[in-house]
Amino acid sequence: MEISPASSALFLGALLLYFAGAVLPLLLRGRRESAVCAFLPAALGSLLVVIFAAFVIVSGSAVRISSPVAAPLAVLDFSLYIDGIAAFFMLIIGLVALSVSIYSIGYSKSYCGRHSVGALGFLVNLFVVSMLLVTAMDSVFSFLVFWELMSLSSFFLVVYEHEKPKNLRAGITYLIMTHIGTAFITAAFLVLYLQTGSLSFDSFRGAAAQLPAFTKDSVFVLALLGFGTKAGLVPMHTWLPKAHPAAPSNVSALMSGAMLKVAIYGLTRVTLGFVLPDSPGDAWLGLLMVMVGSASALFGVLFAAVEHDIKRALAYHSVENVGIIVVGLGLSVVFLSYGLETLAALSLLASMYHSLNHAVFKGLLFMAAGSVVLGAGTADMNLMGGLAKRMPWTSLFFLVGSIAIAGLPPLNGFVSEWLTLQALLSSYQVPNVALQLSIGFSSIIFALTLGLALATFVKLFGISFLARPRSKEAESATEAPRTMLAGMGLAGGFCVVLGVLPFVATSLISSSFGFNMGLVSGYPPFGPLTVGYTAAGLKSLSELSPPEVLVAAASVGAALLGFVAVASRGRKTTVRPYSTWEGGFGPLGVRTEYTASSLSQPIRTAFKWFYRPHTSTERTYFSDSNHMVRRSVSVVSETKEVFEEYLYSPTTRAVLFVLDKVRKIQTGKINSYLLYVLIVTAVLLLMAAIQP
Amino acid sequence: MTYGLAVDAAVAVMQGIAVFALAPLLTGIMSKAKARTQKRVGAGVLQPYYDLFKLLHKDEVVSDQASWVFRSAPWVVAVSTVTAALFVPVFLPSSPLSAAGDFILVLGLFALARFFTMLAGIDAASAFGGIGTSREMMMSALAEPGLFVTLFVVSLTLGGTNLTGLVGAAAQSGVVLTPSMLFGLIALFIIVLAETGRLPFDNPATHLELTMVHEAMLLEYSGRSLALVEWSQATKQLVLFALLVNLFVPVGMPVSMGAGPLELGAGSLAVLAKLGILGVLVAYVETRIAKWRLFRLVDLFALAIASGMVGMIFFYL
Repeated sequence: MEISPASSALFLGALLLYFAGAVLPLLLRGRRESAVCAFLPAALGSLLVVIFAAFVIVSGSAVRISSPVAAPLAVLDFSLYIDGIAAFFMLIIGLVALSVSIYSIGYSKSYCGRHSVGALGFLVNLFVVSMLLVTAMDSVFSFLVFWELMSLSSFFLVVYEHEKPKNLRAGITYLIMTHIGTAFITAAFLVLYLQTGSLSFDSFRGAAAQLPAFTKDSVFVLALLGFGTKAGLVPMHTWLPKAHPAAPSNVSALMSGAMLKVAIYGLTRVTLGFVLPDSPGDAWLGLLMVMVGSASALFGVLFAAVEHDIKRALAYHSVENVGIIVVGLGLSVVFLSYGLETLAALSLLASMYHSLNHAVFKGLLFMAAGSVVLGAGTADMNLMGGLAKRMPWTSLFFLVGSIAIAGLPPLNGFVSEWLTLQALLSSYQVPNVALQLSIGFSSIIFALTLGLALATFVKLFGISFLARPRSKEAESATEAPRTMLAGMGLAGGFCVVLGVLPFVATSLISSSFGFNMGLVSGYPPFGPLTVGYTAAGLKSLSELSPPEVLVAAASVGAALLGFVAVASRGRKTTVRPYSTWEGGFGPLGVRTEYTASSLSQPIRTAFKWFYRPHTSTERTYFSDSNHMVRRSVSVVSETKEVFEEYLYSPTTRAVLFVLDKVRKIQTGKINSYLLYVLIVTAVLLLMAAIQP
Repeated sequence: MTYGLAVDAAVAVMQGIAVFALAPLLTGIMSKAKARTQKRVGAGVLQPYYDLFKLLHKDEVVSDQASWVFRSAPWVVAVSTVTAALFVPVFLPSSPLSAAGDFILVLGLFALARFFTMLAGIDAASAFGGIGTSREMMMSALAEPGLFVTLFVVSLTLGGTNLTGLVGAAAQSGVVLTPSMLFGLIALFIIVLAETGRLPFDNPATHLELTMVHEAMLLEYSGRSLALVEWSQATKQLVLFALLVNLFVPVGMPVSMGAGPLELGAGSLAVLAKLGILGVLVAYVETRIAKWRLFRLVDLFALAIASGMVGMIFFYL
């Protein structure tokens, strides 16, 4: 607990820069320079945050920055406390904000003249600052203040394009859901307050070991509900696929890349800090997280698979990835309950590694989707196509993001999914058959998720960027401006580095969470990640060393080039461009191409039990007597989201029904209100009379 | 381990070259066996080599709709498949590179190859490519849990995901006739048929749009690119067959590289013989059954996943 002036100056400098970024564009009032004035300071500030966070993590000691004036009330204590965990999440937010800020310089110019760029700059800076400060707060009140600031600033960003009624509806859904979440979080903190009599996180941590079982369980479940709503866990995810597509794309990148991680931060704090799972009786809490996580992963990816709005599909993928993160977190709770500390560290490493990865690649993907939407003028993939030739850099970056999120080597998604799979495989060490089997079954769902994610990204990339353009707008699309490409390139670079050099992330995570890397080692720097096994009396290690794999692949590539050159010696071959073979029918139009909907048709049919598609066929006939000859057949097939249809709509209807009945007492006549007052007074008097 | 790093690398390279070189032979043996069971004479077992050699000397036609993804896909497919082969102990009980990558990496590299194959199917803007890709999307998504549940059972029984460790442990314990391994074998056999594009999942010998899956994605390829993709497919088939054989029927496989050269040689020959037998068996199965309707395949995948789950239950109980 030492105050180091140099590092705290870094952080305060960053805050000042964000402040400048927020205020300057408002003063400029819509001049062309306002985009630069808003986002250049933000980029610099984010860079400072990244350096500061890395500094805190490496130094291994927490930083406390108190205000010079003592707070008049203990509740109003806004001093900052940044330990390793907070610094790690600051690093995530900083990395996303850095690339998004650079991207936004070019992106926000597209709003010039239509919307206030100044307001966008102000809100984005406010949003980033509030996210950073949420992680730095150390007491309930200040935490909730910045949490609320984060929710509100992001709400205003969601409804930024307020002229579209759809966006307003999305914003309202978001506002309601996020406050339901906040209510649960507040409840969790209040339960802790009742137990400890204090509102500071320090006292929560101190009391964690003596919490009674019931308090533990209720805090845990309330926190899972509250933070899970913000993180987008099924079934509280419904706001996410609405809000992300409605927001401007740079904001979607921030919300998905950074804000969901703030929710994960809260969940990690509570589940592993304020509630210590230390006896086998707590294992069910971890199992609950594993199950909710796998359900989110599967349902998220299933919805994404049949979606044809590029940004909504990416939003559903956020539900999936948050699910994967929560699976890792839940496993770590299970392992901790049985005292398997190394395995708990492994699962936590997997979970946090995936948080970092998801921030980077989902930020990248939303940014790339943003430039696609600008270029093609639509978010509907069925109207895209052929963009790989028209937007070569954007398509390359989107491909990098796709490979990363699909968990394919050699990019970062593979490493964290490898770690998560290893953690799942290690579940045999939990001495409880029911747990072993349920985690085993969850891992099958997890594998199905990975397979579906691969398929979905084939669709997302293939339909948007490959083949022929399916609309005039897509045909005349042009490449995004340089600053946008720079932002995407930076995020793409993070994907590559985190994939090829995992020791960077593993050492950062292990020193920020302070666990000793026993079995999971990233040392020496270029050595393999290692997970140990002792199954069936055999000792075995699982190892993964991405640098070596890359060297092997490079040598194989060189060898293959040489082999092909030698084997095809003797004749010089040529490559001739010619039109695609159309089955001998001559040039067929764009309408014969596969679309996003037709590409996912087999998946939709295979998972019909889940999607419950509504298909209606309408036939008209030339004459009513003869139904063999049809004039026209039209088929409409749509899938509504099952949670909307079977959970939210009935609930909303029931609430409205009850409120409708309650409304009857609001007659508007003063006489009836006086009557109510009389009745209440009588009841109160009666109660006072009965009670001694 | 008394071997030095250079010896390790040499062993890995030799094994990799052998896998790459022998892969078309396995394809040849299988089509010969299929022809014989259908009472045909069939082409010689070396025919795939002639085809590949011919393709490498042919000019290429590339669709004018295609982008850089289409042109780079064959190389990505070939490099990732052959790299995956380096991590698998196929003929020897050890793959020196398996200290750098495991079973999951091999599956990941195969998935990378499949990802690019599927993209290439869309890229030429042909409806055939779209058909292939959309079917493969469903099949690969369903094959993934089947593969993983087998991996789970195998890794629980034999320990870890390191392939050298797994194959060594399998060789040490011999043919394990526990119920969990038996159910794992059923699951893996079904998935290997799906992954290598065999009947009843896919018919490698057809160009009919109703039936083809893998071929439809490759329809626009010609010349050198086609040769690369076909060769990779053969390599993947050999690797997957070898995994099946070495994990479940490790008869004749020495326990470690510490065995003498004679034993290692005999082990390699045993693997070759077993691969041939498995190939003939698969070819025989292919003549006995017809291609299944696409949406009935879901049941077959479900069967694979379910038997893997039963295997898992047997292991834990």
